Amino acid sequence: METLQQMGAGFGVAFTPENLLFVFIGVLAGTVIGILPGLGPMSAIALMIPIAFGMDPTTAIIMLAGVYYGAIFGGSTSSILLNAPGVAGTVATSFDGYPMARKGAAGKALAIAAIASFTGGTIGVVLLMLIAPALSSFAVSFGPADYFALMVLGLTAVVTLGGRNITKGLIAAVVGVMVSLVGIDSQTATLRFTFGMPELYEGVKFLIVALGLFALAEVFSMLARRGAGGADGAMTSLRLNRRDLGRIAGPTGRGSILGFFTGVLPGAGATVASFLSYSMEKRIAKDGDTFGSGNPKGVAAPEAGNNAAAVGSFVPMLTLGVPGSGTTAILLGALLVLGVTPGPMMLSDRPEMFWGLVASMYVGNIVLLVLNLPLIPLFAKVLKTPRAVLIPLVVVFCVVGVYGLSFSVFDLWLLLGFGVVGYLMRQNGFPAAPMILGLILGSMMERSMRQALQISYGDWTTFVTSPYSAALLGLTAIVLVWPLVKRLRSGPKAPAAGASPDGAQKEEDTASTP
Amino acid sequence: MKPFTFSNRVLGAAVGVLAVVYLYLAFTLEEFTAVSVPVQPATLPKWLGAVLLVLAAVLFFQKQEDTGEQAGSDGDGDEASKTGGGAPARPAAARPALGRLADPRHELALFAASIGLYIALLEPLGFLISTTAYIAATTWYLGYRRHWANALVAVGVSAVLYFAMSDFLRVALPTGPLPF
Repeated sequence: METLQQMGAGFGVAFTPENLLFVFIGVLAGTVIGILPGLGPMSAIALMIPIAFGMDPTTAIIMLAGVYYGAIFGGSTSSILLNAPGVAGTVATSFDGYPMARKGAAGKALAIAAIASFTGGTIGVVLLMLIAPALSSFAVSFGPADYFALMVLGLTAVVTLGGRNITKGLIAAVVGVMVSLVGIDSQTATLRFTFGMPELYEGVKFLIVALGLFALAEVFSMLARRGAGGADGAMTSLRLNRRDLGRIAGPTGRGSILGFFTGVLPGAGATVASFLSYSMEKRIAKDGDTFGSGNPKGVAAPEAGNNAAAVGSFVPMLTLGVPGSGTTAILLGALLVLGVTPGPMMLSDRPEMFWGLVASMYVGNIVLLVLNLPLIPLFAKVLKTPRAVLIPLVVVFCVVGVYGLSFSVFDLWLLLGFGVVGYLMRQNGFPAAPMILGLILGSMMERSMRQALQISYGDWTTFVTSPYSAALLGLTAIVLVWPLVKRLRSGPKAPAAGASPDGAQKEEDTASTP
Repeated sequence: MKPFTFSNRVLGAAVGVLAVVYLYLAFTLEEFTAVSVPVQPATLPKWLGAVLLVLAAVLFFQKQEDTGEQAGSDGDGDEASKTGGGAPARPAAARPALGRLADPRHELALFAASIGLYIALLEPLGFLISTTAYIAATTWYLGYRRHWANALVAVGVSAVLYFAMSDFLRVALPTGPLPF
């Protein structure tokens, strides 16, 4: 009851004309910035912080939160239309979103993304309101060993999601972790794998690898296909019929809930949430074998997941003062500058701010839907650009994104290198997603591993004596071994299945849905 | 024919070489002795190298499978057109082919080299000149015939990007010989 009252007061805050205006501005700015490949929520919020400085802190955080989910939605737009996810959180959206766009269903894919984002965000806000306190106390009990196990599970889940060849997926993941270790070791200041090049001391930036492996590699294969098989720009309508809505309802709902809980865990933000909900849907869907070739469920699940996780990551930041993701870390920094210290006291000291923010998330989600659905045809025009013009433009956008980040020509050479590697990888059936995730999680994994072992005085059994960690690692083992068991159990058919990957894939996926 | 597609043997061997080099480098990393730490800087790299070596061996002995052009990547490409169903395959003549060389491998190498040239000239010539030249040249080379539109796009995109970045976002792109 008390919660409802406070929520009412929160809506009172959110519905002042000033705050409404700034939610709108924030969401619009976030969407526009997020669409540009290479610019994600972090850069979007960072760019908007100077504008927020003169504002009332409540209004400022309401606007910045709007920028956050606007940018996530904008990122999914470029994932779907260009296969150029500038944001890690929308990589999973491109798996099915881009094939849908290439089949001429770009409008539908974007509409599904908008609706799933809206639903994910809304469900996330409801959960945030209802169970934030209980959840944060659970997340606090997660130790470093548990985080390590969680990240290992996330990585393995993505590999099995890559499908066809688990060996190649694992190789990609391991190489991704290797790339993440390049640079100055954070604990001991040892230089690792820098080959004496100062440019590598700070490590390889995520953006360079992501743009190289996805956008640039895509341009290479566009050229190798000689422009054939590309999207022919036939924009289908945005309208979803009842059957479509029925198909995506389940994935959206499950993705929202899974995404929210993943987002609450610090470190495992929108990215892990989107990959997890994607792989979960792929496993449980009856038509799981069509995931990756333009299945609407494969768009709905990660979109609901990443938006719910974006909301979820506010839980630890607002209630504990510990940011749950890089993006909320930037938000936290902005709040501190504005003179607000989030933490356990915020709910009692500044209730108008906490509940005003929660209420404005509802409003922001509605603005997102209202803003984006009408603008989708405009976004989709990108697809009508002739290939000969599009190819150099994508290259230029990649170059600007990387150069604007680091002002380093060395990073541009790295970008070209990863583009070539990415092209060779896709020609030979190596999935790019595990490599990206390995890169993102790699350094975090090492940090958790070190903390865990530091606490246990170097005792490696800490990873199996903690109940959460043991359960998560057990789950990892099952995820890894399951396809093998399936293949063995199918007995004499096994060689045939091995010979035709399509068959094997289908068998694995349908078999896991009883 | 799919350019740059190799057998599992070749791939396994290549990954194996990478793993061995990586392991060698990992074992040459200095031990950290100032304070006792349970995890040395080389601990995780050694594990990673070993795992990669095992995976390379597994791949080496794996039966050859059909790696569709984008088999493992994101499942787009070939699959999309295969399962497209509704979208009929278009006759090749309906779409102007990109590029000019007969061998796609040469085409790709040339394309990579052109990006390299663009990167190399970015700072000496400045963003505006190099980007305009790159877009115009690539678009022309790839076979786009409306030269006026091409010129307009090349100049327009470079200028809009440049001024948006430098004036609005305050990101200083290289100016080169131009005064602004």
